[in-house]
Amino acid sequence: MTFSKLSARNAKRQARDYLVYFVTIVMAAALIYAFNGLVFSEEIRNLSHFLDSLPLIIVLASTVIICIVGWLVSYTTRFMLTKRSRELGTYVLLGMENKQVARLFFQENLMVGGIAIVCGTLLGNLLFQALRAVTLALFHVPYTFSFSFSIGAVLLTAAYFALIYLFALRRSLRRINRMKIYDLLYLDRQNENEAVKKSGRRRILFVVSIILGIIGTVLLLLRNLMLGIIGAALIIAFLYGFFLSFSSGVPDYFDKRPAKKFAGNNLLIFRSLASKLTTMGVIMATIAVLFTATLIAEGTGMVFNALFQSRTEQTTCFDIYIASNGWEEASLDDYMAYIDENIDVRADYRYGVYAADNDTVTQYVEANSDYWRNFEFDTLMAMSDYLALREMLGYSTVEVLDGQYIIHCQPYLEGLMSSYNKPLTVDGYEMAPGKVYTEHFTQSLWDGNGRGFILVVPNEALTTRPVIHRTYAAMTETPLSEATATAISDIRDAKDKSIAGYDTVFIKAAIQAENASMYAMIIFPLFYLALVLTMVAVTILTIQLLSDTDRYQRQYALLDNLGMERREMERSLFRQFAIFYAMPTLPSLLISLPFIFALGSALDAGVLTGIGQLWAIVGITLTLFFAIYIVYVFAAYTSYRKNVLPSR
Amino acid sequence: MLQVQNVEKYYGSKNNVTKALDRISFEVRRGEFIAIMGASGSGKTTLLNCISTIDTVSAGNILLDGENVTEISGSELAKFRRERLGFIFQDFNLLDTLTLEENIGIALTINHADPKSVQGNVREVAHQLGIVDALEKFPYQVSGGQKQRAACARAMVAGQSLILADEPTGALDSKSSKSLLEIMTGMNQNSGATILMVTHDAYSASYASRILFLKDGRLFNELIRGERSRQVFYHETLDVLALLGGDVSDLL
Repeated sequence: MTFSKLSARNAKRQARDYLVYFVTIVMAAALIYAFNGLVFSEEIRNLSHFLDSLPLIIVLASTVIICIVGWLVSYTTRFMLTKRSRELGTYVLLGMENKQVARLFFQENLMVGGIAIVCGTLLGNLLFQALRAVTLALFHVPYTFSFSFSIGAVLLTAAYFALIYLFALRRSLRRINRMKIYDLLYLDRQNENEAVKKSGRRRILFVVSIILGIIGTVLLLLRNLMLGIIGAALIIAFLYGFFLSFSSGVPDYFDKRPAKKFAGNNLLIFRSLASKLTTMGVIMATIAVLFTATLIAEGTGMVFNALFQSRTEQTTCFDIYIASNGWEEASLDDYMAYIDENIDVRADYRYGVYAADNDTVTQYVEANSDYWRNFEFDTLMAMSDYLALREMLGYSTVEVLDGQYIIHCQPYLEGLMSSYNKPLTVDGYEMAPGKVYTEHFTQSLWDGNGRGFILVVPNEALTTRPVIHRTYAAMTETPLSEATATAISDIRDAKDKSIAGYDTVFIKAAIQAENASMYAMIIFPLFYLALVLTMVAVTILTIQLLSDTDRYQRQYALLDNLGMERREMERSLFRQFAIFYAMPTLPSLLISLPFIFALGSALDAGVLTGIGQLWAIVGITLTLFFAIYIVYVFAAYTSYRKNVLPSR
Repeated sequence: MLQVQNVEKYYGSKNNVTKALDRISFEVRRGEFIAIMGASGSGKTTLLNCISTIDTVSAGNILLDGENVTEISGSELAKFRRERLGFIFQDFNLLDTLTLEENIGIALTINHADPKSVQGNVREVAHQLGIVDALEKFPYQVSGGQKQRAACARAMVAGQSLILADEPTGALDSKSSKSLLEIMTGMNQNSGATILMVTHDAYSASYASRILFLKDGRLFNELIRGERSRQVFYHETLDVLALLGGDVSDLL
């Protein structure tokens, strides 16, 4: 049998024994390939100039991914080396040189990696199509299937994997080269004497780390950059301290409470967990740190996404909206000149936003909600302007009653405004409160149609009121091109240099493109990272557990002999499993969930529609995270149950 | 208390049947210490497994306190084992993640004993077997002799009526073997435990009150110690082994 045949056979066995690992490598390769596809896709790059830095961001994310996948490969190969050292030692015993054994080991790992890349690239093509479809949908471009095989993406993926394997295998190879036959033959025995250490120092560490964790989480919630960094450091210290000392802290707890220890399956469960943690405390802690980072990243991404989305919705009810605080009627003329000539306008309207002679309603809103004022007065709009704008937007017609004023506000102020029942007086003209409307009306910024709300009053009330900004709103026949949007912005920029003040221009098409690009550039890489991180972490946990199959098998065979009931064995196995996988996620959840909530509530009022949306964000974050997690855990549990429990 | 009646056990398929046990019958009275001797492959471990309900018989009956263990249904077997049988294995079979105290206590936990009483019961048995000082330690921290004594404690702590020992001294040095056998004798004489021990070591067997010899799955001979000293009994055992032939060199 030639070496390469031996390598090939071993590679096949490796893929079968470490199926979880192989699947993860394939999935990682597929994801890396799919995102590389985005980097090299002309089509995507041409969607918008806002996407110019997308390739850079993806390459940066890929760098982090390479490190994480490298960790997985390195960990798993070292692990396999320990498990298979006896076999490798036998090769040396039969007269092979260490160098040859190392080459054998290298070849088979490379083969597994190579096959993973091939499978990953094929799968990655499908994933790329999915990514492409999502991206095109974001930019409202119709999706048509076009098979794209990017040689650049393949080469980049292969290069990443070459890096991963070279770094990961270097250590194992050096180890084989230096190893003596005895070491190889007995390497797998080294762990058998692993002690479940008890010491006072660990107990102190346990208590101290929990205190650090609480302080760190509180600091993180304070939303102060410096304190936040200290908080993050404390949390990392907590996670390592906690997992390193857990194996003594919990047995201590039970040692003092023998009645609890000997109740139910507690004894089996906490002891096997404690022994597992003694050998893998550092890994557990690292995984918990990664999980915390993943959850925080996912949550933050979702919150920012909500911010962008809400900004788009609230500013783009008109296709074009221009507000100028040049008070003269003529202040919008230069824009008009360009628009008349270049844009196919379906309907447009010019109007002014007025200042009231008091700030009664602003005071009310300020006192009763999360609101900060821009003006020393309430803002007003003429009824005729309001009706015209509503018609242009296609909103329902409103009932206008003589002597009444209407409030149009952002949805989050609806309840508050509905309960405002005071009459309004403008220049001595008195009006009774009318209805409240909350459709999108460009009200999120100071030079919108009021900030947060506007009071719509009969035209007669405004005869002597000053205009605070002149406004132009239009609906176009077709979405504006990026070039047109840029041209209008250019007019604004030129004007800004010549006059004091600042004109506001909202162009729906441009804002949507920018928003879609932000989405692609923030959410895509975040979820790319989160996916790979979760898969790698849960794979390492699973490998750890599966490596113990023999020991657990012996344990349950013995318990069967001693007369433990099968139902009880199943329950105990399930609980061991559940706690093992929950261990690294629990501290992560305890830290990241408050963080996401704190971040969500730090946004401007009105950005999120309410606490419900924040819960939805948290829900989606957790679902994304646990969906992958649970698939792995379920697969591992099924195979474990089959292998570990006695068959009778 | 234990009656083994015409027990047969076959292995293999239709064309290649191995008879591991061939019409074995014997009886064990309460409080007896019985050894079953035989060379490797004589069927002694198979016999023990059948009695302990880990394995099933092909024919025949095994009665413990009048109850036919070959007829107990699957779900009752576990209950039967944990309430009535204590096991001592050659390689101790302690769980390496548990301390000795917990390894002994688990027999009570499995029996759904009151968690509050577990520690007290364990300490009491440990005191009898002289391993109180080692209770806090893990199996890898103690000697083979201590491990096997912990296994003995586990086998009797829940008040099991029959203790089945499979080569209990197989992994021990001669000094630890001697002390373990003395402890087992003590368990038998002081605590009234009924012990059925399988061994191929004549020295171990000489501690029993009666020895059954197995060869090729059949009961070959029986020796009763009676009033004789252990040394005399030991020599008689060796004589029987010489008669068994073939394997004698393996046995000495």
